[in-house]
Amino acid sequence: MDGIHDMGGRHGYGPVKVTTAEPPFPEEWQGRMFGIVRAIKRPPSWNIDKFRYTREQIPPIEYVTRTYFDQWYMSYAAMLLGSGVVTLQELATGRSAAAGPDLGQPMTAPEVAKARTVAARFDRPYDRAPAFSVGARVRARADAPVTHTRLPGYARGRPGTVIAHHGAHVLPDASAIGREVASPLYAVAFRIGDLFAEQKDSPDMVNLDLWEAHLEPASG
Amino acid sequence: MHDYDPTGAEHHHSQIHSHVPGEPALRVKALESLLVEKGLLDSAAVDAWVEAYRDQIGPKIGAWVVARAWMDAEFKARLLADGTLAIRELGIEDGFQVGHLKVVENTADTHNLVVCTLCSCYPMAILGIQPVWYKKDAYRARAVREPRAVLREFGVDLPDGVAVRVWDSTAELRYLVMPQRPPGTEAWDEARLTSIITRNSMIGTERDLHTTAAGG
Repeated sequence: MDGIHDMGGRHGYGPVKVTTAEPPFPEEWQGRMFGIVRAIKRPPSWNIDKFRYTREQIPPIEYVTRTYFDQWYMSYAAMLLGSGVVTLQELATGRSAAAGPDLGQPMTAPEVAKARTVAARFDRPYDRAPAFSVGARVRARADAPVTHTRLPGYARGRPGTVIAHHGAHVLPDASAIGREVASPLYAVAFRIGDLFAEQKDSPDMVNLDLWEAHLEPASG
Repeated sequence: MHDYDPTGAEHHHSQIHSHVPGEPALRVKALESLLVEKGLLDSAAVDAWVEAYRDQIGPKIGAWVVARAWMDAEFKARLLADGTLAIRELGIEDGFQVGHLKVVENTADTHNLVVCTLCSCYPMAILGIQPVWYKKDAYRARAVREPRAVLREFGVDLPDGVAVRVWDSTAELRYLVMPQRPPGTEAWDEARLTSIITRNSMIGTERDLHTTAAGG
């Protein structure tokens, strides 16, 4: 979707507010929100791509004004509502009016140490040969779904070169709408001047990880 | 409960905006109590996650990984080949956001810079919670379009002979920049090397590490 979240290359945001170090959770509620997300018993239909797609639909003015963990709140509240786990009234009052779904025991404090070791993997078996080899010239597709995609607007339609093949990974565009599909994932290098005309003389490159579904062959 | 379909989530966002208190501290507190009452959350587990990411997990872990790579060429080769496997070898057990870790190395003529233009992907288990600027619009918009101008705002003026490689974290790979080892540190031990490797240098918004930071 062509949302506010797709920020790469946009003008008008001004200088970066540079820091070299800062507390991880400047306000206590930010830490609580982080901890809730890590510890919550998740409905089985949730996944990272549905979370991202939900976050992308935060109204633009709120997306740019709300802080990061407030956006997590917005997204998790919307996912809980949209799954029928909570009601608006319950979110507003913090009091449960009906029993929750039976998903089994939530994570306990002693279980956190083990949960921290989980390194989620997104690579999947794939029985066909990848369409592109390292060194292949490709072009990012010019079109994009109206739903979630990890192909940013600034790269669409632009030519690049495959510099690595990472094996097949879960395709977020499908996973965000409830279908798990494995698709070969590549690192694709774009000349910065092919992305942004004012950089035409620059030696710099922008590398993106893109799935086969995002790419088509290109010549030259 | 039913399967979650995010299509049309903007409707839920606007409902939440209209009906739930606007103050984040209040509504997060309400969310926590609600989930505990529903049997979906244990507050002691929330405490444990907060403590881990407030007190234990942070850029010192990434710095240690880089220092080890500087000191051990064979480890460095394994780290560059498969970051996820290599950090496990060091006994780093935390796995959050490092299931597919890719380490990219700065050299005399290459400078790497990491961004996530679409959200805020970051190798949390070895760098901790993202800097605020990493999550904000200005960095996400500009790092891919004018990386040298962004780097100048961080005090990095790249010479003409150094090319920038920007890595936009569009998949589940998480990127860590391995900065160059400063000259004059050949005799330093691991702890002293670790002490000069900054968070920003591992994102790529710093290039030349200062050897004075170690206190002589």
